[in-house]
Amino acid sequence: MRYLLTTLLILSWVSSAYGQTGTYRVIDRATGDPVVQAHIKSGEESVITTTDTDGYFTLNPEEYPAIIITAVGYQTRELVLRSGSGTIYMNPAIFRNDSELVVIAGRDNQNNVQAYRRQHQAETMDQFLDKIDGLSANRRGAFAWEPVVRGESDQRMNLMIDGMQVFKACVDKMDPITSYVETNNLSQLHIDKSGSEVAQNGGGRSSVNLITRRAEPGPLSVNVSSAFRLPDNYRTFSMSGSTSDRDGRNAIRFSGSYKKADDYTAGGGRQIKNTQYEKLNLNLSYRHRFESDHTLEANYISDKAYDIGYPALLMDATEALADIGQLRFSFAPNDRNWRMDFIQVYANGIRHTMDDYSRDVENRSVMGGMHMPMYGETLTGGLRAGGRGVLLNHSFEWFLDGFASLADGEMEMNSLDPGIEDMFIDNLRDVNTRRANIGLKHRFMLSDKLLFKAEENIGLKTVTTGSDQYASFFEGLYGRDVESRPRFLLSGSGSLLWMPADALSFSGSLVYSERMGNHMELFGHYIYNYTDGFFYDGNPWLKTERTINADFNTTWETDAHSVSVSLFRKQFYNYIDGIITEDSGATGVRFKRYANTGDAVITGGEFRSLNRFSHTLSIENRISYLFAENRSLGEPLPLIPPLKGSSILHFHFGKNKLMGEAEWAAAQNRIAETNSIEDKTDAFATLHLTWERSWFDRSVTSVLKANNLLDSYYHTHTSIGNVPEAGRTVMLSLRYAFR
Amino acid sequence: MIFLRWAGTLTALAIFTLFASSCDVNNSSEPDPQLDLIPIESVTVDGYTVSLESDSNLETGANLLYWKVERNGDLITPQSISINPMMDMDDMMHSTPYEQPEVAPEDDRYFSNLALFIMAGGQMGSWTINFDITLANNETISGTLPVEVESSWRLTSVRDENDNIYFITWLEPEKPVSGNNDLRFMVHTRESMMNFPPVTDAGLDIYPYMDMGGGSGHSTDFNAPEASGSGYYDGSINYSMSGTWTTSVTLTVEGETLPDVMFEYSVMAN
Repeated sequence: MRYLLTTLLILSWVSSAYGQTGTYRVIDRATGDPVVQAHIKSGEESVITTTDTDGYFTLNPEEYPAIIITAVGYQTRELVLRSGSGTIYMNPAIFRNDSELVVIAGRDNQNNVQAYRRQHQAETMDQFLDKIDGLSANRRGAFAWEPVVRGESDQRMNLMIDGMQVFKACVDKMDPITSYVETNNLSQLHIDKSGSEVAQNGGGRSSVNLITRRAEPGPLSVNVSSAFRLPDNYRTFSMSGSTSDRDGRNAIRFSGSYKKADDYTAGGGRQIKNTQYEKLNLNLSYRHRFESDHTLEANYISDKAYDIGYPALLMDATEALADIGQLRFSFAPNDRNWRMDFIQVYANGIRHTMDDYSRDVENRSVMGGMHMPMYGETLTGGLRAGGRGVLLNHSFEWFLDGFASLADGEMEMNSLDPGIEDMFIDNLRDVNTRRANIGLKHRFMLSDKLLFKAEENIGLKTVTTGSDQYASFFEGLYGRDVESRPRFLLSGSGSLLWMPADALSFSGSLVYSERMGNHMELFGHYIYNYTDGFFYDGNPWLKTERTINADFNTTWETDAHSVSVSLFRKQFYNYIDGIITEDSGATGVRFKRYANTGDAVITGGEFRSLNRFSHTLSIENRISYLFAENRSLGEPLPLIPPLKGSSILHFHFGKNKLMGEAEWAAAQNRIAETNSIEDKTDAFATLHLTWERSWFDRSVTSVLKANNLLDSYYHTHTSIGNVPEAGRTVMLSLRYAFR
Repeated sequence: MIFLRWAGTLTALAIFTLFASSCDVNNSSEPDPQLDLIPIESVTVDGYTVSLESDSNLETGANLLYWKVERNGDLITPQSISINPMMDMDDMMHSTPYEQPEVAPEDDRYFSNLALFIMAGGQMGSWTINFDITLANNETISGTLPVEVESSWRLTSVRDENDNIYFITWLEPEKPVSGNNDLRFMVHTRESMMNFPPVTDAGLDIYPYMDMGGGSGHSTDFNAPEASGSGYYDGSINYSMSGTWTTSVTLTVEGETLPDVMFEYSVMAN
């Protein structure tokens, strides 16, 4: 009897235990093939298990009711497991050449030639972006570098946060929106250098989309990090954490960071005045998963920066405030022919205040003898949606995107001479931008090795001012009545991917796009362009700028070695640029007006290789080059970086990682002299060294980083005003992860 | 019942329409609410009170004068008003460019006219305006109103080689604001101390400029004024910012280019 009872108890326990475990299979939705080595995670970073060679994994759904599945080449999937077994479909991700998936953190196996990894936790967004092939930064000092993709910045690239349009408030472009997302709040970067993702990104322009971290189901986890750097006394403290209820239905994540720096020192010990800054960033994210597997997410970013020095400019920013909020509803995956995957509504407000009260305005060459406090503000609201559809047995993705934005900017000029009356300028007055786009994306598997993708987008855009008096300035300038003229903007792309072997791929894309001038090109007034020192007036009658971009990439990739080469050529028609005003009768100030200046071309390429010689030693090389010319003027476009590159040696042993980096750039002798005022830039090379070590079972990580070891004095060609880069710096950062 | 409801509704609509239309009729005779005048001077002659009003204190340059005649507090509409401004400088007297009053288009209770005072009153002399008013009963009342005329930036003068003097009056923009403004000048010359005819065929070149101090300054976009008849010259000026601006004017009369003259004034933010 006792035996029987014991046997029954054991059988009961075993039966119960087996009942709690489910077996699932992960399948490629497009091909039906199993997805191998997919990571099954309970939270953002904790991997529970991986799929086997047949795509199977087993899991206790009661222990892990909500999971995240990630796999290289597939879109991340989140779902709530039901008891028992089941099939989980994964959607293939994007073309490798079109939109590079840049992984910032996490344990994903994304260390490939198409991915970039943040080198250490204290690396800033500016530093990280600047190291990606094809990207560079227009630098104005230590803070908020302006990202540039293949020579195109600002109005010619689409910079987004979670797909949201966020517009700078500073008419002098001192607040690129990359400054509003800290790296501890960054999940991924989607960079579309060719602009071929026209369906989703609209204008066919190069795009950078900063994907923020979301609240994920999982146990409580907290990360705390801090860093200190000499000699600029840069100090930062950041904290992030996330948790959810047991079934993962409600999850919350927060992150915050504070950083402050004094003036930095260039090579040779020269202190660069007005390079200080102070910044606070907060992010709060909440996610609710419904019984139906639909999810609702709310996300809010608050970024406050103060006392930001800009040595290259006439003034400094005293306050830069950003409030960015969004709601996103994601529908549970289903196999209906017509479906909506997500809908997102968002709103943001950016405010930027500048002045030159701490500057020696009496002796400066431009606008001397006066203070020029400035204020700018943008308010933007928008809606995005996306899904899939089937028509005549053809499946495609669709995207809707619409927004409205209001921009205002003004500047006072208060002369030191009490006999001169205060002056006031509206740089932007009640300027409204409205845009609505619809895009379609199609994929055609021409064979098992050949894939063709086509995307098209049509948009309707208006830019106008609600102030008749402000409009009258442009009417007087050009002798025409300002009218709100909606314009249809078309863009389309075709991409071909050929994989003759598992390790080798060739791809090419052709993109046509149309771009209407932005609010500053059309309705900006008396706007100082720090890149050439001219004051610009907008032109509401600018023709649409058209672009044709051809892009080619080949990638050879094995576990140990990989090489990627990209070549592109972008041809502009009706290129929008400033032309010098013939007779402004000015002294001490120079004026330009925006106009369609003719044709321009930007061509170039990027090379990247990864060589893993052993588990401990690997080397990475990057080279990029740009050639850009205004064909009508027959001279180079301004602010084009020269041939540049870097080589990084990684050495791993035990809990230690050593990284040595040599960064270099050739001299830039191709400069814009007619339509801009550039000077040549010397070549330079710098060395950086990083030592990272984990402690206490990897819960603590320390990073010791020495930049510009040789204390070289140099500046990049894209440094505005030839402000030199920082000399030798030493930084120690510590990170503690609590789980 | 339905018929009664419809009848009631129609009656209400009819009353409303009648009320609305009668309001329109009354409104048409109401004074222009935009006319915001201040009293300048008044005098009572033979029981009639003659009042001079304007939208601001009188100053050198162009002034719109509004005339009102009352008797026992009731407004009188005269047949005509004739005026003659006069500057008494003790050793000499002179008039100034002006037009004769006519019924004010913006308010028919008033007569109005343009007067361009060529100098300020004060120690140099004093201004009076002589008037003759013909009433509806053909009775005429005459009198004199002393007026104060302040100095302003809106008038300047220049002489040619033959010592002929030309008065250049800034008419518009009356209150310059940032953005595009209509620009209007009047040019008069002096044939005698009592006769200041308009100059209708001169050429005007202008050059606006803002001195921002510290060695910085610039012009702005403009269309040079062209003669539009009766001594008026019309163009436009596009102020890029508020602050103190100058506009130099070069007058060319019968082929002779006269020395530059300068207007200096404030442009307001819009």
